[in-house]
Amino acid sequence: MAEDILHTAGIVAVAWAVTFGLRSLPFLLFAGRGRDVPPSVERFGSIISPVIIAGLIVYSYSALEWRTAWPYIAGVLVVALQLWRRNALLSIIAGTVVYMCLLSAGCASNDYGDIVLDAAHPSIRYSAQGFLIGERYVDPRRVPSILKSYDVPTDRVIHILVDEESERDLKPARAFMGLLAHNGYRRSVLVTKKRAESHVKSEEDVTPPARGNPLAAPSSRRASPSGKRKIRYKGASE
Amino acid sequence: MGYTTMGFAAGVLLSVKGDVPCAPAWSFVIAALLVSGTMSFAIVPAMAASESFLAVALLTLGINFRYALYGFSMLAKWKGIPVLQKWFLVHSLADEIYALDLACTIKDPLKNRLYCLFNHGFCVGYWVLGSVSGSIAGSALPIPSRGIEFAMVALFLVIFTDQMKGFLRHHG
Repeated sequence: MAEDILHTAGIVAVAWAVTFGLRSLPFLLFAGRGRDVPPSVERFGSIISPVIIAGLIVYSYSALEWRTAWPYIAGVLVVALQLWRRNALLSIIAGTVVYMCLLSAGCASNDYGDIVLDAAHPSIRYSAQGFLIGERYVDPRRVPSILKSYDVPTDRVIHILVDEESERDLKPARAFMGLLAHNGYRRSVLVTKKRAESHVKSEEDVTPPARGNPLAAPSSRRASPSGKRKIRYKGASE
Repeated sequence: MGYTTMGFAAGVLLSVKGDVPCAPAWSFVIAALLVSGTMSFAIVPAMAASESFLAVALLTLGINFRYALYGFSMLAKWKGIPVLQKWFLVHSLADEIYALDLACTIKDPLKNRLYCLFNHGFCVGYWVLGSVSGSIAGSALPIPSRGIEFAMVALFLVIFTDQMKGFLRHHG
């Protein structure tokens, strides 16, 4: 917890240091001289800035539902509005609202089409290679939105089935529970091998067949030879 | 005031996606320290994912590179301003604030300085106010948040569109 706060503070500090450094750069370079911008600097800036921003646009699209058409429709709308009305605030708000509407109206089922989740008995498997829903590996940070898209009520019990070989290190799984709780899903249960039997029997259909044998990983991603791939998720709260 | 609204949006985003305890406090710190709309949005996923410091530094460098260019046009205008006041002006040299500074046609150095200080002071105030109230609203109210991360992309698109327009006017 304290570590998390320190890290967050560090992120803010780094961002501030770089931002302030950039802002004061010309004042440090030309201290006291009061010169105009050298034309070469101005040219460089006018070319490099749009290139950087273009790169950021491409990069930030990867955080959206970029496999659907919605972010592109909203994107075109933003650019068109900005060209037409030149009102940044209007363009941003309109684009975001349209995107949110398109998302919730159109693609709740498309997004995670190949994920099979039983909304009545939601269960997520925690293996040494990561978290799985059904047979598919998922980014744990996206699990709450997946649950939401399947209309899983927040008071439903969510089982986190722990593979035998992962029982030694339950930290990521606990962090994941914290993440779920943070998003309203407070009733998650860690199911380890000893206690699993009763739960698993009744939920044979939602439990991945590989459960008893963790090395028989689903075909979507091969298990690394060591079987100890680190889970990339860092817990927010525990 | 545009700054309050943008700040509000950034605050909501931080509180619903930032995955940090006590979002309003963080909102305040981020708004007051960075005074950068784009960074206030971009830092949220970085905080949620506990990104490494180097990655954050590179991200900031890319996003805020343009600030390094703003200062050049202020060099002559801000000559002779006392150090502390000058550093405050430099600290809060963000997009719209810069545009307002440029638009000021007051020739008298003292009046111009007062104008700039007022401009920066009020804009930062509005910005912080918007951010903090946004994050309070975001933590308290069930604001539908799915897809709200598009706001950052939209901001980039707006900046890019404006830059391209300026670029084409100059070179095309």
